[in-house]
Amino acid sequence: MLVVACIKQVPDTTQVQIDPVTNTLVREGIPFIVNPYDAHALEEALRLKDRFGFRVAALSMGPPNAEATLKKALALGVDEAILLSDRVFGGADTLATSRVLSEAIGRLNLREKVGIVICGKQTIDGDTAQVGPGIATRLGYTQLTLVDRIEKLDPLLGRITVRRKLEGRHETVEAPLPVLLTVVRELNRPRYPTVPMRLESAEATVQVWSNRELQLDQEGIGLKGSPTWVSRIFSPERQKGEIVGDGAADPAGAADLLVDKLLSRDLLVV
Amino acid sequence: MKALLIGEYRQGKLLDTTYELKAFADRLGADSVMLLVGSDSELPKYDGTLYLADAAKYGEYNPDQHKQLVLQAVEKENPDCIVFVHSSYGWDLAPRVAVALKAGQVSEIVALNEGAYEVNACNAKLRRTVTPKSGRCVLTIQAGAFTPSGEPQGTPQPERLELSGTASAIEFVGYEAAEQKGVDLSKAEVIVSAGRGVGKKDNVPVIAALASALGGELGASRPVVDAGWVDHSHQVGTTGQTVSPKLYVACGISGAIQHLAGMKKADFIVAINKDKDAPIGEIADVLVVADVMQFVPAFTAKCAR
Ligand SMILES: Cc1cc2nc3c(=O)[nH]c(=O)nc-3n(C[C@H](O)[C@H](O)[C@H](O)COP(=O)(O)OP(=O)(O)OC[C@H]3O[C@@H](n4cnc5c(N)ncnc54)[C@H](O)[C@@H]3O)c2cc1C
Ligand SMILES: Cc1cc2nc3c(=O)[nH]c(=O)nc-3n(C[C@H](O)[C@H](O)[C@H](O)COP(=O)(O)OP(=O)(O)OC[C@H]3O[C@@H](n4cnc5c(N)ncnc54)[C@H](O)[C@@H]3O)c2cc1C
Repeated sequence: MLVVACIKQVPDTTQVQIDPVTNTLVREGIPFIVNPYDAHALEEALRLKDRFGFRVAALSMGPPNAEATLKKALALGVDEAILLSDRVFGGADTLATSRVLSEAIGRLNLREKVGIVICGKQTIDGDTAQVGPGIATRLGYTQLTLVDRIEKLDPLLGRITVRRKLEGRHETVEAPLPVLLTVVRELNRPRYPTVPMRLESAEATVQVWSNRELQLDQEGIGLKGSPTWVSRIFSPERQKGEIVGDGAADPAGAADLLVDKLLSRDLLVV
Repeated sequence: MKALLIGEYRQGKLLDTTYELKAFADRLGADSVMLLVGSDSELPKYDGTLYLADAAKYGEYNPDQHKQLVLQAVEKENPDCIVFVHSSYGWDLAPRVAVALKAGQVSEIVALNEGAYEVNACNAKLRRTVTPKSGRCVLTIQAGAFTPSGEPQGTPQPERLELSGTASAIEFVGYEAAEQKGVDLSKAEVIVSAGRGVGKKDNVPVIAALASALGGELGASRPVVDAGWVDHSHQVGTTGQTVSPKLYVACGISGAIQHLAGMKKADFIVAINKDKDAPIGEIADVLVVADVMQFVPAFTAKCAR
């Protein structure tokens, strides 16, 4: 059985800055990382490999530089890594993204039966949480979102029991394979690559599939196949609280000013 | 323009966010009909057609069947948009419906802008405007972003929906309540909360020390609780406690809407964050731009003098 982890390379949004003049994202110098939720998806796939001996494939759609992300997945122990990259895939919204990813999964399934696809619950740059469910619906797989624990997996019976993390409660459900899971951070703690694994993976190559391989009708992919488009990215206007002192350069001085502020409002009992 | 609103019913109760769907439709200037998998015993106050399916029969959540029910209502009403709340329910169900209809989807809308939708990006530091090109679209709205202007009113005209025996692949096994124990923050006068910016579990005592120097309690954002740094009973926000202290100090907390929902009623809010553009600055009275681990010990020392 093949387990597929879908991983997206995203800009590290905690380091994103806004250009005060143009009010848009400053892209230069922002490091790219694996979408944090996808690191947990990958880890869970590797744990299934450790426990059951399944093969694991990592799949990513993105520009050529996303190869770096897949290299890391190889270093962690995935058996194959596939980058879906082609100009005609560019500008895709979630509908078009799930079209390409599900086609690729369909192709892998012809070689080896896919039992489980694992996605992050959402990305930190697009944040839509639509891609996983989109893949499940297209492939007709059972969809289980917000999974924080795999309780039981019976590959022979082809059934899985998972716990889903909902508002203020958990829900346990059982479902038949093949399934698509979208996972939350509580699921596991991702491993780090060891030095020997890193060295070994230096040899391994990332397969790149373009639309020559997938042969998708251009109407359904990329910009053309995308029913939504982002017309503007901007920084929301807000009234800001007063900034007290220079806390970075002079913490003690800022602390004095803050103490005064709280005293003047009778909020400090000294 | 016509909107199909998907109400939400959970553990035997109609959720208030159902009324936010109507507020959203009103702000869109759309006519609306509603669908609810719920119960006759608690119908929403709503003037208009209510497609009602029985939760006793179709489950409070049974994705395959609920999707079929939504598609049935879409067939009957031919709406321009189908609107969900961006809760775990809408989260799971909306994309199923969108893909089945080959419709575009916009997730977690926070505002409207001349026919386009605004959504947050990058931890709410940025907003983006998304425009659907497809005729029909699926939308999810952020809970709390579109509040009804007054008390909800009206009497729905229910129309029953039934499915002809589509079994679901997913079997519900059980619910488990999140643990409830520990402190009651709702009565605290001072709360000092730790966010992800605190960095690691070992740093939490530094924040707790400030809380006790100020004579208050320790609070926390959800990631800090999820990581096991602080017990869930200290969590502030939509899935934690709602608090209204005189003083709230947010240490390394970005100010996500779900956190704000739990503490925005505080009288005076101090935020300590290394990012001067963090959204918490929007509601804080004062902001100290600093590394929490450098600033908090200095501040604690002065408070405890
Ligand atoms: C600023 C901005 C705003 C956008 N707004 C919208 C919008 O409102 N509506 C819309 O339809 N599209 C929108 N898009 C496009 C959308 O984000 C991209 O199409 C993206 O490829 C998939 O969506 P996501 O990042 O939201 O993924 P999500 O649906 O949040 O991702 C869920 C999971 O799917 C998997 N996954 C997602 N993308 C990939 C990938 N490329 N390769 C491998 N696995 C993947 C990962 O496991 C991930 O954790 C927006 C994009 C940007 C940059
Ligand atoms: C359905 C749902 C329910 C939720 N319920 C809740 C809830 O009840 N409560 C809740 O809190 N969240 C809740 N969340 C999560 C919420 O969306 C946010 O993810 C969460 O509040 C973010 O926590 P944070 O601010 O601690 O972390 P982050 O958003 O990661 O912010 C960390 C902040 O710390 C700053 N920082 C980093 N390092 C330092 C440093 N060294 N010094 C100073 N500052 C630093 C950063 O600039 C950033 O602003 C919910 C989410 C969902 C989807």
